[in-house]
Amino acid sequence: MIRFENVGLRYESGPEVLRDVTFTLERGSFHFLTGPSGAGKTSLLRLMFLDHKPSRGLITMFDRPIATLTRHELPDIRREIGVVFQDFRLIAHLTAYENVALPLRARGKSEDSYRADVIELLQWVGMGERLNALPSTLSGGEKQRVAIARAVMGRPRLLIADEPTGNVDAEMGNRLLHLFVELNRLGTSILIATHDRELIARNPAPALVLHKGEVEIHG
Amino acid sequence: MVEVPMTGTARRSLLARLFVETRSVMPAAGSTGLSLVLVIATMCFLASLTLGAVLAVNHATQSWTRQLSGALTVEIRAVEGQDPEMQRDAALTVLSKTPGILTAKTLTRDDVAALIQPWLGADIAREDLPFPQLIDVRVDTAAPPDLVALAAALEKSAPGVKLDSHREWLDDINGAANAAQGLSYAILAIITLTTIAIVTFATRAGLLANHEIVELLHLIGARDNFIASEIQRHFLLLGLRGGVLGLALSLLAFGGMALAMNSRSFLVSMPTIQPWTLTSLLLVPVMAALVSVITARMTVMRGLGRMM
Ligand SMILES: Nc1ncnc2c1ncn2[C@@H]1O[C@H](COP(=O)(O)OP(=O)(O)OP(=O)(O)O)[C@@H](O)[C@H]1O
Ligand SMILES: [Mg+2]
Repeated sequence: MIRFENVGLRYESGPEVLRDVTFTLERGSFHFLTGPSGAGKTSLLRLMFLDHKPSRGLITMFDRPIATLTRHELPDIRREIGVVFQDFRLIAHLTAYENVALPLRARGKSEDSYRADVIELLQWVGMGERLNALPSTLSGGEKQRVAIARAVMGRPRLLIADEPTGNVDAEMGNRLLHLFVELNRLGTSILIATHDRELIARNPAPALVLHKGEVEIHG
Repeated sequence: MVEVPMTGTARRSLLARLFVETRSVMPAAGSTGLSLVLVIATMCFLASLTLGAVLAVNHATQSWTRQLSGALTVEIRAVEGQDPEMQRDAALTVLSKTPGILTAKTLTRDDVAALIQPWLGADIAREDLPFPQLIDVRVDTAAPPDLVALAAALEKSAPGVKLDSHREWLDDINGAANAAQGLSYAILAIITLTTIAIVTFATRAGLLANHEIVELLHLIGARDNFIASEIQRHFLLLGLRGGVLGLALSLLAFGGMALAMNSRSFLVSMPTIQPWTLTSLLLVPVMAALVSVITARMTVMRGLGRMM
Protein backbone atom coordinates (compact mmCIF):
# COMPACT_ATOMS: atom_id res chain seq x y z
CA MET A 1 0.00 0.00 0.00
CA ILE A 2 2.82 2.40 0.91
CA ARG A 3 6.19 1.51 -0.47
CA PHE A 4 9.64 3.11 -0.42
CA GLU A 5 12.22 1.58 -2.78
CA ASN A 6 15.87 2.65 -2.62
CA VAL A 7 14.77 6.12 -1.62
CA GLY A 8 17.51 8.69 -1.14
CA LEU A 9 17.22 12.29 0.03
CA ARG A 10 19.64 15.14 0.22
CA TYR A 11 18.79 18.75 0.98
CA GLU A 12 20.29 20.86 -1.78
CA SER A 13 23.99 20.09 -1.92
CA GLY A 14 24.22 18.71 1.64
CA PRO A 15 25.04 15.11 2.58
CA GLU A 16 22.53 12.35 1.94
CA VAL A 17 20.16 12.34 4.91
CA LEU A 18 18.47 9.18 3.66
CA ARG A 19 19.97 6.60 1.35
CA ASP A 20 18.60 3.31 0.11
CA VAL A 21 15.54 3.39 2.30
CA THR A 22 13.31 0.44 1.45
CA PHE A 23 10.20 -0.74 3.31
CA THR A 24 6.51 -1.44 2.87
CA LEU A 25 3.59 -0.48 5.11
CA GLU A 26 0.57 -2.65 4.63
CA ARG A 27 -2.95 -1.32 4.84
CA GLY A 28 -4.09 -1.00 8.44
CA SER A 29 -0.60 -1.48 9.89
CA PHE A 30 0.84 0.15 13.01
CA HIS A 31 4.52 1.11 13.08
CA PHE A 32 6.87 3.19 15.12
CA LEU A 33 9.74 5.08 13.54
CA THR A 34 12.76 5.47 15.78
CA GLY A 35 16.35 6.54 15.58
CA PRO A 36 18.65 9.06 17.21
CA SER A 37 18.01 12.75 16.89
CA GLY A 38 19.05 13.95 13.46
CA ALA A 39 18.78 10.45 11.99
CA GLY A 40 16.25 11.67 9.45
CA LYS A 41 12.89 10.66 10.92
CA THR A 42 11.21 13.94 10.11
CA SER A 43 12.82 13.91 6.68
CA LEU A 44 11.41 10.47 5.93
CA LEU A 45 7.96 11.50 7.09
CA ARG A 46 8.08 14.65 4.93
CA LEU A 47 8.62 12.46 1.90
CA MET A 48 5.62 10.41 2.91
CA PHE A 49 3.24 13.32 3.39
CA LEU A 50 4.36 14.79 0.05
CA ASP A 51 6.12 17.84 1.47
CA HIS A 52 9.32 17.08 -0.40
CA LYS A 53 10.42 15.04 -3.36
CA PRO A 54 13.03 12.28 -2.96
CA SER A 55 16.37 12.82 -4.64
CA ARG A 56 16.16 9.30 -5.97
CA GLY A 57 14.20 6.10 -5.57
CA LEU A 58 10.55 5.25 -5.90
CA ILE A 59 7.75 6.12 -3.46
CA THR A 60 4.33 4.57 -3.85
CA MET A 61 1.42 5.98 -1.83
CA PHE A 62 -1.87 4.10 -1.83
CA ASP A 63 -0.65 2.14 -4.83
CA ARG A 64 0.22 5.26 -6.83
CA PRO A 65 3.81 6.12 -7.74
CA ILE A 66 4.06 9.71 -6.56
CA ALA A 67 6.47 10.68 -9.32
CA THR A 68 3.58 10.32 -11.76
CA LEU A 69 1.18 12.55 -9.82
CA THR A 70 0.29 15.92 -11.31
CA ARG A 71 0.00 19.00 -9.12
CA HIS A 72 -3.72 18.74 -9.51
CA GLU A 73 -3.82 15.21 -8.05
CA LEU A 74 -1.72 15.95 -4.98
CA PRO A 75 -4.58 17.29 -2.79
CA ASP A 76 -6.54 14.04 -3.22
CA ILE A 77 -3.62 11.98 -1.92
CA ARG A 78 -2.84 14.48 0.85
CA ARG A 79 -6.42 14.29 2.11
CA GLU A 80 -5.85 10.59 2.79
CA ILE A 81 -2.96 11.47 5.09
CA GLY A 82 -3.28 13.06 8.52
CA VAL A 83 -0.11 14.60 9.89
CA VAL A 84 0.88 15.62 13.41
CA PHE A 85 3.85 17.90 12.76
CA GLN A 86 6.74 17.90 15.18
CA ASP A 87 6.33 21.70 15.43
CA PHE A 88 2.48 21.47 15.40
CA ARG A 89 2.02 24.16 12.72
CA LEU A 90 -1.20 25.54 14.18
CA ILE A 91 -2.43 28.73 12.54
CA ALA A 92 -1.79 31.49 15.04
CA HIS A 93 -4.83 33.68 14.44
CA LEU A 94 -7.34 30.82 14.44
CA THR A 95 -8.84 29.28 17.58
CA ALA A 96 -8.27 25.68 18.60
CA TYR A 97 -11.70 24.87 17.21
CA GLU A 98 -10.99 26.57 13.90
CA ASN A 99 -7.61 24.89 13.58
CA VAL A 100 -9.12 21.46 14.09
CA ALA A 101 -11.92 22.22 11.63
CA LEU A 102 -9.46 23.31 8.96
CA PRO A 103 -9.12 20.02 7.02
CA LEU A 104 -12.90 19.86 6.61
CA ARG A 105 -13.22 23.52 5.76
CA ALA A 106 -10.53 23.06 3.12
CA ARG A 107 -12.61 20.26 1.64
CA GLY A 108 -15.47 22.72 1.22
CA LYS A 109 -17.65 21.16 3.95
CA SER A 110 -20.19 23.40 5.66
CA GLU A 111 -19.64 24.20 9.29
CA ASP A 112 -23.00 22.73 10.27
CA SER A 113 -21.83 19.35 9.01
CA TYR A 114 -18.71 19.16 11.18
CA ARG A 115 -19.20 21.39 14.24
CA ALA A 116 -20.35 18.61 16.55
CA ASP A 117 -17.56 16.25 15.43
CA VAL A 118 -14.89 18.88 15.96
CA ILE A 119 -16.14 19.64 19.47
CA GLU A 120 -16.39 15.98 20.35
CA LEU A 121 -12.88 15.28 19.17
CA LEU A 122 -11.48 18.25 21.09
CA GLN A 123 -13.28 17.01 24.19
CA TRP A 124 -11.76 13.61 23.64
CA VAL A 125 -8.24 15.03 23.74
CA GLY A 126 -9.16 17.02 26.85
CA MET A 127 -9.47 20.38 25.13
CA GLY A 128 -13.25 20.78 25.41
CA GLU A 129 -12.86 23.87 27.53
CA ARG A 130 -10.31 25.59 25.32
CA LEU A 131 -12.24 25.64 22.04
CA ASN A 132 -11.84 29.38 21.59
CA ALA A 133 -8.26 29.59 22.75
CA LEU A 134 -5.64 30.91 20.35
CA PRO A 135 -2.56 28.69 20.00
CA SER A 136 -0.32 31.31 21.60
CA THR A 137 -2.27 30.89 24.85
CA LEU A 138 -1.86 27.08 24.91
CA SER A 139 0.87 25.05 26.57
CA GLY A 140 3.08 22.80 24.47
CA GLY A 141 1.08 19.72 25.38
CA GLU A 142 -2.20 21.48 24.65
CA LYS A 143 -0.97 22.58 21.24
CA GLN A 144 0.08 19.02 20.58
CA ARG A 145 -3.38 17.72 21.38
CA VAL A 146 -4.98 20.28 19.08
CA ALA A 147 -2.52 19.26 16.36
CA ILE A 148 -3.45 15.61 16.86
CA ALA A 149 -7.13 16.40 16.70
CA ARG A 150 -6.60 18.27 13.42
CA ALA A 151 -4.65 15.35 11.95
CA VAL A 152 -7.40 12.91 12.85
CA MET A 153 -10.28 15.17 11.82
CA GLY A 154 -10.18 14.37 8.12
CA ARG A 155 -10.52 10.62 8.80
CA PRO A 156 -7.25 9.82 7.04
CA ARG A 157 -6.25 6.43 5.66
CA LEU A 158 -2.74 7.03 6.98
CA LEU A 159 -1.88 8.90 10.17
CA ILE A 160 1.66 10.18 10.47
CA ALA A 161 2.72 11.55 13.85
CA ASP A 162 6.09 13.13 14.50
CA GLU A 163 6.85 12.91 18.24
CA PRO A 164 3.18 13.18 19.19
CA THR A 165 3.76 12.59 22.87
CA GLY A 166 6.89 14.67 23.33
CA ASN A 167 5.22 17.36 25.39
CA VAL A 168 2.59 15.54 27.44
CA ASP A 169 2.71 13.60 30.69
CA ALA A 170 2.51 9.83 30.80
CA GLU A 171 -1.22 9.74 31.42
CA MET A 172 -2.04 12.00 28.46
CA GLY A 173 0.53 10.08 26.39
CA ASN A 174 -1.41 6.93 27.19
CA ARG A 175 -4.66 8.53 26.23
CA LEU A 176 -3.30 9.72 22.89
CA LEU A 177 -1.79 6.32 22.20
CA HIS A 178 -5.20 4.87 22.90
CA LEU A 179 -6.66 7.25 20.30
CA PHE A 180 -4.14 6.02 17.74
CA VAL A 181 -4.88 2.40 18.57
CA GLU A 182 -8.62 3.04 18.21
CA LEU A 183 -8.09 4.66 14.83
CA ASN A 184 -5.90 1.76 13.79
CA ARG A 185 -8.64 -0.65 14.76
CA LEU A 186 -10.97 1.28 12.45
CA GLY A 187 -8.57 0.70 9.56
CA THR A 188 -6.21 3.67 9.60
CA SER A 189 -2.53 2.90 9.06
CA ILE A 190 -0.41 4.52 11.75
CA LEU A 191 3.22 5.61 11.67
CA ILE A 192 4.57 7.28 14.80
CA ALA A 193 8.05 8.75 15.00
CA THR A 194 9.20 8.75 18.61
CA HIS A 195 12.12 8.56 21.02
CA ASP A 196 9.73 7.48 23.73
CA ARG A 197 10.71 3.90 24.70
CA GLU A 198 7.93 3.77 27.25
CA LEU A 199 5.38 4.51 24.57
CA ILE A 200 6.74 1.70 22.42
CA ALA A 201 6.75 -0.65 25.38
CA ARG A 202 3.09 0.06 26.11
CA ASN A 203 1.99 -0.84 22.63
CA PRO A 204 4.40 -3.31 21.15
CA ALA A 205 4.43 -2.84 17.39
CA PRO A 206 7.04 -3.23 14.68
CA ALA A 207 9.51 -0.35 14.46
CA LEU A 208 11.34 1.15 11.52
CA VAL A 209 14.74 2.02 12.92
CA LEU A 210 16.70 4.70 11.09
CA HIS A 211 20.42 4.32 11.30
CA LYS A 212 22.95 6.09 9.13
CA GLY A 213 20.35 6.91 6.53
CA GLU A 214 19.04 3.39 6.20
CA VAL A 215 16.01 1.64 7.64
CA GLU A 216 15.86 -1.65 9.45
CA ILE A 217 12.60 -3.20 10.53
CA HIS A 218 12.55 -4.54 14.07
CA GLY A 219 9.81 -6.77 15.33
CA MET B 1 -18.85 22.69 30.79
CA VAL B 2 -18.04 22.96 27.11
CA GLU B 3 -17.64 26.30 25.40
CA VAL B 4 -19.59 27.13 22.29
CA PRO B 5 -17.18 27.59 19.43
CA MET B 6 -16.91 31.11 18.14
CA THR B 7 -16.25 31.25 14.48
CA GLY B 8 -16.68 33.72 11.72
CA THR B 9 -18.76 31.55 9.47
CA ALA B 10 -21.36 29.97 11.72
CA ARG B 11 -24.94 30.52 10.62
CA ARG B 12 -24.61 33.94 9.08
CA SER B 13 -26.30 35.43 6.11
CA LEU B 14 -24.22 35.88 2.98
CA LEU B 15 -24.10 39.62 3.51
CA ALA B 16 -22.98 39.20 7.09
CA ARG B 17 -20.31 36.76 5.98
CA LEU B 18 -19.00 39.28 3.50
CA PHE B 19 -18.99 42.31 5.71
CA VAL B 20 -18.95 41.33 9.32
CA GLU B 21 -16.52 39.04 10.98
CA THR B 22 -15.45 36.38 8.55
CA ARG B 23 -12.30 34.94 9.87
CA SER B 24 -10.31 34.00 6.84
CA VAL B 25 -7.79 31.21 7.14
CA MET B 26 -5.29 33.74 5.85
CA PRO B 27 -4.50 36.60 8.22
CA ALA B 28 -5.68 39.97 7.00
CA ALA B 29 -2.50 41.86 7.84
CA GLY B 30 -1.08 43.61 4.83
CA SER B 31 -4.13 43.36 2.62
CA THR B 32 -6.69 45.32 4.61
CA GLY B 33 -4.23 47.65 6.27
CA LEU B 34 -5.27 51.27 6.52
CA SER B 35 -2.59 52.48 4.14
CA LEU B 36 -3.72 50.13 1.38
CA VAL B 37 -7.35 51.14 1.89
CA LEU B 38 -6.28 54.78 1.59
CA VAL B 39 -4.38 54.11 -1.63
CA ILE B 40 -7.40 52.37 -3.16
CA ALA B 41 -9.62 55.19 -1.86
CA THR B 42 -7.40 57.71 -3.62
CA MET B 43 -7.64 55.77 -6.86
CA CYS B 44 -11.41 55.61 -6.53
CA PHE B 45 -11.59 59.32 -5.70
CA LEU B 46 -9.69 60.15 -8.90
CA ALA B 47 -11.78 57.69 -10.89
CA SER B 48 -15.05 59.16 -9.55
CA LEU B 49 -13.93 62.70 -10.35
CA THR B 50 -12.93 61.70 -13.85
CA LEU B 51 -16.10 59.74 -14.46
CA GLY B 52 -18.22 62.54 -12.99
CA ALA B 53 -16.49 65.04 -15.27
CA VAL B 54 -17.12 62.90 -18.36
CA LEU B 55 -20.78 62.55 -17.49
CA ALA B 56 -21.20 66.25 -16.74
CA VAL B 57 -19.50 67.29 -19.98
CA ASN B 58 -21.63 64.82 -21.94
CA HIS B 59 -24.74 66.21 -20.34
CA ALA B 60 -23.75 69.81 -21.05
CA THR B 61 -22.83 69.02 -24.65
CA GLN B 62 -26.15 67.35 -25.17
CA SER B 63 -28.13 70.24 -23.78
CA TRP B 64 -26.14 72.82 -25.76
CA THR B 65 -26.59 70.75 -28.87
CA ARG B 66 -30.29 70.44 -28.23
CA GLN B 67 -30.65 74.22 -27.64
CA LEU B 68 -28.63 75.18 -30.67
CA SER B 69 -29.94 72.64 -33.12
CA GLY B 70 -33.55 73.57 -32.38
CA ALA B 71 -32.79 77.15 -33.40
CA LEU B 72 -31.62 78.69 -36.65
CA THR B 73 -30.97 82.29 -37.47
CA VAL B 74 -31.43 83.89 -40.87
CA GLU B 75 -29.25 86.92 -41.25
CA ILE B 76 -30.11 89.59 -43.82
CA ARG B 77 -27.41 92.13 -44.60
CA ALA B 78 -28.24 95.47 -46.02
CA VAL B 79 -27.16 95.42 -49.66
CA GLU B 80 -26.87 98.48 -51.87
CA GLY B 81 -29.90 98.73 -54.16
CA GLN B 82 -31.94 96.12 -52.28
CA ASP B 83 -35.15 96.85 -50.42
CA PRO B 84 -34.75 95.39 -46.92
CA GLU B 85 -38.42 94.45 -46.81
CA MET B 86 -38.23 92.63 -50.14
CA GLN B 87 -35.16 90.75 -48.89
CA ARG B 88 -36.99 89.75 -45.74
CA ASP B 89 -40.18 88.68 -47.49
CA ALA B 90 -38.21 86.53 -49.93
CA ALA B 91 -36.53 84.79 -47.02
CA LEU B 92 -39.81 84.30 -45.16
CA THR B 93 -41.41 82.81 -48.25
CA VAL B 94 -38.65 80.23 -48.55
CA LEU B 95 -38.99 79.41 -44.86
CA SER B 96 -42.74 79.00 -45.02
CA LYS B 97 -42.41 76.56 -47.90
CA THR B 98 -39.85 74.40 -46.10
CA PRO B 99 -41.24 71.46 -44.10
CA GLY B 100 -39.92 70.97 -40.57
CA ILE B 101 -39.96 74.64 -39.61
CA LEU B 102 -42.20 75.52 -36.68
CA THR B 103 -41.94 79.31 -36.47
CA ALA B 104 -40.04 82.14 -38.14
CA LYS B 105 -40.03 85.42 -36.24
CA THR B 106 -38.46 88.60 -37.47
CA LEU B 107 -36.60 90.38 -34.70
CA THR B 108 -37.35 94.05 -34.32
CA ARG B 109 -34.64 96.68 -34.35
CA ASP B 110 -34.96 96.88 -30.57
CA ASP B 111 -34.55 93.12 -30.20
CA VAL B 112 -31.35 93.21 -32.21
CA ALA B 113 -30.09 96.24 -30.34
CA ALA B 114 -30.71 94.44 -27.08
CA LEU B 115 -28.75 91.45 -28.35
CA ILE B 116 -25.65 93.38 -29.26
CA GLN B 117 -25.81 95.92 -26.47
CA PRO B 118 -23.67 93.88 -24.07
CA TRP B 119 -20.83 93.91 -26.61
CA LEU B 120 -21.09 97.29 -28.18
CA GLY B 121 -22.68 99.41 -25.46
CA ALA B 122 -26.08 101.06 -25.03
CA ASP B 123 -25.25 104.10 -27.16
CA ILE B 124 -24.95 102.09 -30.29
CA ALA B 125 -28.66 101.42 -30.46
CA ARG B 126 -29.46 105.07 -30.69
CA GLU B 127 -27.20 105.70 -33.60
CA ASP B 128 -28.48 105.00 -37.03
CA LEU B 129 -26.27 102.06 -37.84
CA PRO B 130 -27.21 99.59 -40.54
CA PHE B 131 -28.13 96.66 -38.31
CA PRO B 132 -28.60 93.35 -40.05
CA GLN B 133 -32.13 92.04 -39.94
CA LEU B 134 -32.47 88.76 -38.11
CA ILE B 135 -35.13 86.06 -38.37
CA ASP B 136 -35.30 83.65 -35.47
CA VAL B 137 -36.34 80.23 -36.77
CA ARG B 138 -37.53 77.31 -34.60
CA VAL B 139 -37.08 73.88 -36.04
CA ASP B 140 -39.01 70.68 -35.41
CA THR B 141 -36.12 68.64 -33.93
CA ALA B 142 -38.05 65.42 -34.52
CA ALA B 143 -38.20 66.05 -38.30
CA PRO B 144 -35.63 68.76 -39.03
CA PRO B 145 -35.37 70.36 -42.48
CA ASP B 146 -32.48 69.64 -44.84
CA LEU B 147 -30.20 72.48 -43.73
CA VAL B 148 -27.91 72.38 -46.75
CA ALA B 149 -30.82 72.68 -49.17
CA LEU B 150 -32.45 75.36 -47.03
CA ALA B 151 -29.25 77.42 -46.93
CA ALA B 152 -28.94 77.22 -50.72
CA ALA B 153 -32.58 78.20 -51.26
CA LEU B 154 -32.27 81.17 -48.91
CA GLU B 155 -29.11 82.47 -50.56
CA LYS B 156 -30.81 82.22 -53.94
CA SER B 157 -33.96 84.04 -52.73
CA ALA B 158 -32.29 87.44 -52.42
CA PRO B 159 -28.78 88.88 -52.15
CA GLY B 160 -27.48 89.34 -48.60
CA VAL B 161 -29.59 86.52 -47.12
CA LYS B 162 -27.62 83.90 -45.20
CA LEU B 163 -28.53 80.95 -42.96
CA ASP B 164 -26.63 80.59 -39.70
CA SER B 165 -27.17 77.06 -38.41
CA HIS B 166 -24.58 77.32 -35.59
CA ARG B 167 -22.90 74.36 -37.26
CA GLU B 168 -19.41 75.68 -36.54
CA TRP B 169 -20.28 76.23 -32.91
CA LEU B 170 -21.68 72.74 -32.60
CA ASP B 171 -18.66 71.21 -34.31
CA ASP B 172 -16.35 73.08 -31.97
CA ILE B 173 -18.31 72.00 -28.90
CA ASN B 174 -18.43 68.38 -30.01
CA GLY B 175 -14.75 68.38 -30.87
CA ALA B 176 -13.83 69.71 -27.46
CA ALA B 177 -16.19 67.29 -25.72
CA ASN B 178 -14.75 64.33 -27.63
CA ALA B 179 -11.22 65.35 -26.75
CA ALA B 180 -12.14 65.70 -23.08
CA GLN B 181 -13.84 62.32 -23.17
CA GLY B 182 -10.85 60.60 -24.78
CA LEU B 183 -8.53 62.09 -22.20
CA SER B 184 -10.83 60.98 -19.38
CA TYR B 185 -10.91 57.41 -20.62
CA ALA B 186 -7.13 57.41 -20.81
CA ILE B 187 -6.99 58.65 -17.20
CA LEU B 188 -9.46 55.95 -16.11
CA ALA B 189 -7.33 53.31 -17.83
CA ILE B 190 -4.21 54.54 -16.05
CA ILE B 191 -6.02 54.53 -12.70
CA THR B 192 -7.19 50.95 -13.30
CA LEU B 193 -3.71 49.75 -14.29
CA THR B 194 -2.20 51.43 -11.25
CA THR B 195 -4.78 49.75 -9.00
CA ILE B 196 -3.99 46.37 -10.55
CA ALA B 197 -0.28 46.94 -9.97
CA ILE B 198 -0.85 47.92 -6.33
CA VAL B 199 -3.10 44.93 -5.60
CA THR B 200 -0.68 42.55 -7.33
CA PHE B 201 2.13 43.88 -5.20
CA ALA B 202 0.09 43.61 -1.99
CA THR B 203 -1.04 40.08 -2.82
CA ARG B 204 2.51 38.93 -3.52
CA ALA B 205 3.72 40.47 -0.27
CA GLY B 206 0.87 38.75 1.61
CA LEU B 207 1.63 35.38 0.04
CA LEU B 208 5.28 35.72 0.94
CA ALA B 209 4.53 36.78 4.52
CA ASN B 210 2.14 33.85 4.97
CA HIS B 211 3.93 31.17 3.01
CA GLU B 212 3.97 28.87 6.06
CA ILE B 213 0.20 28.92 6.24
CA VAL B 214 -0.03 28.35 2.50
CA GLU B 215 2.30 25.35 2.79
CA LEU B 216 0.28 23.95 5.69
CA LEU B 217 -2.97 24.35 3.74
CA HIS B 218 -1.45 22.46 0.83
CA LEU B 219 -0.30 19.68 3.17
CA ILE B 220 -3.78 19.20 4.63
CA GLY B 221 -5.11 18.83 1.11
CA ALA B 222 -6.42 22.30 0.31
CA ARG B 223 -6.61 23.15 -3.37
CA ASP B 224 -5.23 26.38 -4.79
CA ASN B 225 -8.81 27.43 -5.38
CA PHE B 226 -9.60 27.30 -1.64
CA ILE B 227 -6.49 29.26 -0.73
CA ALA B 228 -7.21 31.87 -3.38
CA SER B 229 -10.80 32.24 -2.14
CA GLU B 230 -9.62 32.78 1.42
CA ILE B 231 -7.18 35.46 0.29
CA GLN B 232 -9.45 37.22 -2.16
CA ARG B 233 -12.05 37.81 0.56
CA HIS B 234 -9.68 40.34 2.08
CA PHE B 235 -9.36 42.07 -1.24
CA LEU B 236 -13.11 42.20 -1.71
CA LEU B 237 -13.34 44.09 1.57
CA LEU B 238 -10.35 46.21 0.64
CA GLY B 239 -11.87 47.18 -2.70
CA LEU B 240 -15.27 47.95 -1.19
CA ARG B 241 -13.89 49.98 1.70
CA GLY B 242 -11.49 51.94 -0.47
CA GLY B 243 -14.15 52.39 -3.14
CA VAL B 244 -16.82 53.69 -0.81
CA LEU B 245 -14.38 56.03 0.90
CA GLY B 246 -13.10 57.38 -2.43
CA LEU B 247 -16.62 57.83 -3.74
CA ALA B 248 -17.67 59.68 -0.58
CA LEU B 249 -14.71 62.05 -0.94
CA SER B 250 -15.54 62.72 -4.58
CA LEU B 251 -19.18 63.47 -3.69
CA LEU B 252 -17.94 66.07 -1.22
CA ALA B 253 -15.79 67.55 -3.97
CA PHE B 254 -18.72 67.66 -6.41
CA GLY B 255 -20.91 69.23 -3.74
CA GLY B 256 -18.30 71.89 -3.15
CA MET B 257 -18.03 72.63 -6.86
CA ALA B 258 -21.79 72.87 -7.25
CA LEU B 259 -21.97 75.39 -4.38
CA ALA B 260 -19.16 77.43 -5.90
CA MET B 261 -20.93 77.52 -9.26
CA ASN B 262 -24.36 78.39 -7.90
CA SER B 263 -22.97 81.50 -6.30
CA ARG B 264 -21.84 82.83 -9.67
CA SER B 265 -23.65 83.27 -12.95
CA PHE B 266 -22.31 82.08 -16.25
CA LEU B 267 -23.08 83.02 -19.83
CA VAL B 268 -23.85 79.40 -20.73
CA SER B 269 -24.97 76.53 -18.54
CA MET B 270 -21.84 74.99 -17.02
CA PRO B 271 -21.35 71.23 -16.82
CA THR B 272 -23.03 70.07 -13.64
CA ILE B 273 -23.48 66.75 -11.90
CA GLN B 274 -26.95 65.38 -12.55
CA PRO B 275 -28.61 63.22 -9.89
CA TRP B 276 -28.59 60.14 -12.14
CA THR B 277 -24.86 60.59 -12.55
CA LEU B 278 -24.49 59.79 -8.87
CA THR B 279 -26.01 56.34 -9.39
CA SER B 280 -23.54 55.55 -12.13
CA LEU B 281 -20.73 56.65 -9.83
CA LEU B 282 -21.75 53.72 -7.59
CA LEU B 283 -20.01 51.64 -10.23
CA VAL B 284 -16.67 52.91 -8.94
CA PRO B 285 -16.60 50.94 -5.63
CA VAL B 286 -18.08 47.93 -7.40
CA MET B 287 -15.35 48.08 -10.01
CA ALA B 288 -12.71 48.63 -7.33
CA ALA B 289 -13.87 45.48 -5.52
CA LEU B 290 -13.99 43.50 -8.77
CA VAL B 291 -10.57 44.64 -9.93
CA SER B 292 -9.08 43.90 -6.48
CA VAL B 293 -10.62 40.44 -6.23
CA ILE B 294 -9.78 39.35 -9.76
CA THR B 295 -6.24 40.70 -9.56
CA ALA B 296 -5.63 39.06 -6.17
CA ARG B 297 -7.02 35.76 -7.38
CA MET B 298 -4.91 35.71 -10.52
CA THR B 299 -1.80 36.67 -8.57
CA VAL B 300 -2.40 33.94 -5.98
CA MET B 301 -3.12 31.25 -8.55
CA ARG B 302 0.02 32.18 -10.47
CA GLY B 303 2.10 32.21 -7.25
CA LEU B 304 0.71 28.88 -6.00
CA GLY B 305 1.25 27.22 -9.37
CA ARG B 306 4.97 27.48 -8.75
CA MET B 307 4.78 25.51 -5.47
CA MET B 308 4.77 21.73 -5.01
N1 LIG C 1 15.27 21.73 5.40
C1 LIG C 1 16.48 21.20 5.63
N2 LIG C 1 17.56 21.66 4.97
C2 LIG C 1 18.77 21.13 5.16
N3 LIG C 1 19.02 20.16 6.03
C3 LIG C 1 18.01 19.65 6.74
C4 LIG C 1 16.66 20.15 6.58
N4 LIG C 1 15.86 19.46 7.42
C5 LIG C 1 16.65 18.58 8.07
N5 LIG C 1 17.92 18.68 7.67
C6 LIG C 1 19.02 17.84 8.13
O1 LIG C 1 18.68 16.49 7.91
C7 LIG C 1 19.10 15.67 9.01
C8 LIG C 1 17.88 14.90 9.52
O2 LIG C 1 16.97 15.81 10.09
P1 LIG C 1 15.56 15.33 10.60
O3 LIG C 1 14.82 16.52 11.04
O4 LIG C 1 14.95 14.48 9.57
O5 LIG C 1 15.98 14.43 11.87
P2 LIG C 1 15.06 13.76 12.95
O6 LIG C 1 15.39 12.32 12.97
O7 LIG C 1 13.65 14.11 12.75
O8 LIG C 1 15.60 14.43 14.29
P3 LIG C 1 14.78 14.73 15.66
O9 LIG C 1 14.65 13.44 16.37
O10 LIG C 1 15.67 15.66 16.39
O11 LIG C 1 13.49 15.34 15.29
C9 LIG C 1 19.69 16.60 10.03
O12 LIG C 1 21.08 16.50 9.93
C10 LIG C 1 19.24 17.97 9.62
O13 LIG C 1 20.25 18.91 9.89
MG1 LIG D 1 12.25 15.23 13.76
